Amino acid sequence: MNNADIKKELVKMLGRDKVLIDDLDLMYYSYDSSFLTKLQPVTPTAVVLPASTAEVQKVVRLAYENDVNIIPRGAGTGETGGCVAVEGGIVIDLSRWREIVEIDVNNMQVVVRPGVIHADLNDELAKFNLFFPPDPGSSKMCTIGGMVANNASGLRAVKYWTTEPYVLGLEVVTPTGDVIITGGQQARCIKNVSGLNLTKLMVGSEGVLGIVTQIRLRCFPRPKARGIAMAVFDHLDDAPATVLEVYQAGVLPSGIEILDGSAIKAVNDFKPHINLPEAEAILLFEVDGNPPGVEYEGQIIKEVAGRRARQVEWSTEKKRMAELWEGRSITATAAARVRADGSRIFAGEDISVPISKVADVLRAIRALGEKYGIQVVNYGHIGDGNVHCAPVINPENPEEVELVKKLVDEIHLLAIEMNGSTTGEHGVGAARRGYAVLEHGPAVDYMKKVKAAFDPKGIMNPGKLF
Amino acid sequence: MEFKELPPVKEQIMKCVRCGKCRELCPVFGEIGIESAAPRGHVFMVQMLRDGKVEPSPEVYEKLGQCLMCETCSANCPSGIDVHELNAAARAYLNDKNPNRGKDFLFGNFWTKPEMMKQSIKVASLAQRLGLQKLARNIGLTRLLPGDLKDAEKILDNIPPHSARSQLSAYTPAQGESRYRVGYFLGCGTDFLNPEIAQAAVNVLSRNGCEVFIPEGLKCCGLPHIANGKMDVARQLTIHNLKLFEKLNVDYIVTDCGSCSATLSKKNLKFVLEGTSYQEDGAAFAARVMDLTVFLVDVLDIQVDVKIDRKWRVTYHDPCHLVNAQGITEQPRELLRRIPGVELVEMPHAASCCGGSGTYSVTHHQLSMQILDKKMSNAASTGADILATCCPSCIMQLNFGCKRSNWNAEVLHPVVLLNRAYEPAPAAV
Ligand SMILES: Cc1cc2nc3c(=O)[nH]c(=O)nc-3n(C[C@H](O)[C@H](O)[C@H](O)COP(=O)(O)OP(=O)(O)OC[C@H]3O[C@@H](n4cnc5c(N)ncnc54)[C@H](O)[C@@H]3O)c2cc1C
Repeated sequence: MNNADIKKELVKMLGRDKVLIDDLDLMYYSYDSSFLTKLQPVTPTAVVLPASTAEVQKVVRLAYENDVNIIPRGAGTGETGGCVAVEGGIVIDLSRWREIVEIDVNNMQVVVRPGVIHADLNDELAKFNLFFPPDPGSSKMCTIGGMVANNASGLRAVKYWTTEPYVLGLEVVTPTGDVIITGGQQARCIKNVSGLNLTKLMVGSEGVLGIVTQIRLRCFPRPKARGIAMAVFDHLDDAPATVLEVYQAGVLPSGIEILDGSAIKAVNDFKPHINLPEAEAILLFEVDGNPPGVEYEGQIIKEVAGRRARQVEWSTEKKRMAELWEGRSITATAAARVRADGSRIFAGEDISVPISKVADVLRAIRALGEKYGIQVVNYGHIGDGNVHCAPVINPENPEEVELVKKLVDEIHLLAIEMNGSTTGEHGVGAARRGYAVLEHGPAVDYMKKVKAAFDPKGIMNPGKLF
Repeated sequence: MEFKELPPVKEQIMKCVRCGKCRELCPVFGEIGIESAAPRGHVFMVQMLRDGKVEPSPEVYEKLGQCLMCETCSANCPSGIDVHELNAAARAYLNDKNPNRGKDFLFGNFWTKPEMMKQSIKVASLAQRLGLQKLARNIGLTRLLPGDLKDAEKILDNIPPHSARSQLSAYTPAQGESRYRVGYFLGCGTDFLNPEIAQAAVNVLSRNGCEVFIPEGLKCCGLPHIANGKMDVARQLTIHNLKLFEKLNVDYIVTDCGSCSATLSKKNLKFVLEGTSYQEDGAAFAARVMDLTVFLVDVLDIQVDVKIDRKWRVTYHDPCHLVNAQGITEQPRELLRRIPGVELVEMPHAASCCGGSGTYSVTHHQLSMQILDKKMSNAASTGADILATCCPSCIMQLNFGCKRSNWNAEVLHPVVLLNRAYEPAPAAV
């Protein structure tokens, strides 16, 4: 079938409401949040918006029979072009499929369809005193399907880790059009070592092995108390040093975040009421658990951080905590505010390094920014070494674009050199696939073999990962 | 000014990092769920338009026209993009490239002349009622008002027979000593659809020591024109109104309509008057413009010392043009709290749009109703008997919502309730 026939067939299969085929409609699916697709948007052949496994299966079978690429998509908040049809094909937008199928309170599990928004899920779970701990900065807009595909994490990975350990089982439409259930067809258990762990393989596979149509997640009881310590530093180096000292004092906070001086300015500009103190850096430590424990650990953090910090503010007051946490979550995009004619770009934004080397890395990034004459706003999940760098440029100035590409490349290489990785949570997608061999060596060939086993025709989200 | 050179187009497009935060905030995206309805999609499309990657076609207008200009995205954009301004600029450009005689007539003539405006609403519904769709289509009305007109016209069911203007004098003296000279910007929605708000506003102002001036010849604030791509007409209207108020030498210019005060705000006037010699006048004018509730609470600090026997359970809906465009949330609530007998109960998502947005409830009827239904279920969950808000367009929409959901609540502007509290209580039996 040619493209026109494929489009007709899709409409016939799913109905006009669930298929986009007009050029204008399709253009809107040429991007995600990445700098890559800002520079090079790619329009898909068609977009489908299925709302059942059977519909997804029909589309995949059609694509398989006709050798057409298929690209799963959630909310398109990814930073790597992962959900964009960089080599053409049908985009399967799952973000309208927002069903919470079941909350199994006793077994502390929830079953959802892929389009459910992370924050909505946690709002629902809160009614049952449960929560799904990973907390991406994009919580209010990204889908659980996207989180599973990217193994997303975020502000609480220090204690609660990434999406992966919470995924107990998946329903997947494979690239050949089969439907499989990983983690045990009937299973409702939490521990399970039977069989090859396909769940683990799928999580973080960025949509190159299949389409996730249902997710069974483990939840935790909601902690009863929370507190946030904000430590303010006059010297950037003191911030990472304090992180190590807090761990050494025997405290595992639920989150440790850093904002450098420019990130602080950006947050204050967007939300003046948050009123962060001006400084070289601030650290936000979040502690959660039972009330006396939270208070106890808060005091230790206060004491330890106070050795290097100019000031430490400890708060268990709901409003202030919400403000501080919000301040950190908005940094990702508010970063642009440091320059009137600038925009932050999502490129080189997600390196992960050993926590002992964070200070060196922050210094090196600062030097690279100076070398290229580009302001880089630094913030991120310092507690696990996941540093987010936001180069702020005028993306419509070709010279700046060329310079920033070089800067970003150096940042990625720096991460690898420092025994880290080019990406801690946002994934590889199309944007970072060039570093695969450097990072993984011959293991990349085995990754390709795994993919081929699932996807013999190579139609599933090609042009990504490696 | 050339489209590419317009400040929002020149300065703001490149700021969008497409983070997608706006997707989940947008009431229209919430209903449609496809990227072309998302605010970041609109920013993208304006960029395509600017870069010549798409033709300035009616189809592009239709995509951008899905936005109901509630400004939720603009108010919450971490990158600081005024998505609605960008959208308005693009609509004006598209409109210039695709002249539509019917629309030009409607917005260039009818809706610049207050009396005619009222007629236009009637003509549209009458044409439908008499089966004269063809005539309406010929003059471009159905194109402008697609969808189920028959249903849409129900929203305009209760157009009062007399406008506020016909019942109020151009000057009302202050009761007692005069504290302020206040210009009252009588918006079209209040004038034609809710004259009781104007009467209450003038009464309350006068009672609290304000001389009230309503300039003769006042015209529309221009918002419907901006929203429908008629920027040139909006500009003319603004300049006309600026001149009228200039002569009056008033301390403040107050309006009970959130949309009017947003349109007359410093930021918006800068946008509308860009490239004209009226920029400074506009800024000086805007500096005196104030929402009525803000004026009553912050400037007059009114205390309502009357005894009221009855109780009102009131819930408040934040009009988009107050909450998003101007960040005003507290004063309307405070005013309500100061009215004896009022118990204020918050509804969930008080700041989410009601789907009214001026002509939107007519041009995108179905969508508007879906948004409205969500609003009504939140509002009704409070068990209030009064639903208060500060925008005549919201009042019209919410009234319709009450009918649709069979909820027997009264929809009104807080000043109307205040005025009611002032009315002498019936003598005790
Ligand atoms: C402001 C901002 C802050 C962010 N903060 C964080 C953070 O703190 N932590 C973090 O980890 N990430 C963060 N991200 C990145 C991004 O939000 C996450 O990676 C998120 O999980 C992507 O979800 P999505 O629904 O937008 O997926 P998309 O961007 O649509 O897709 C991402 C990838 O998943 C695949 N995919 C999507 N759905 C499916 C499915 N059902 N089946 C198979 N494959 C699928 C796509 O093909 C693509 O490869 C942030 C992004 C932004 C813009």
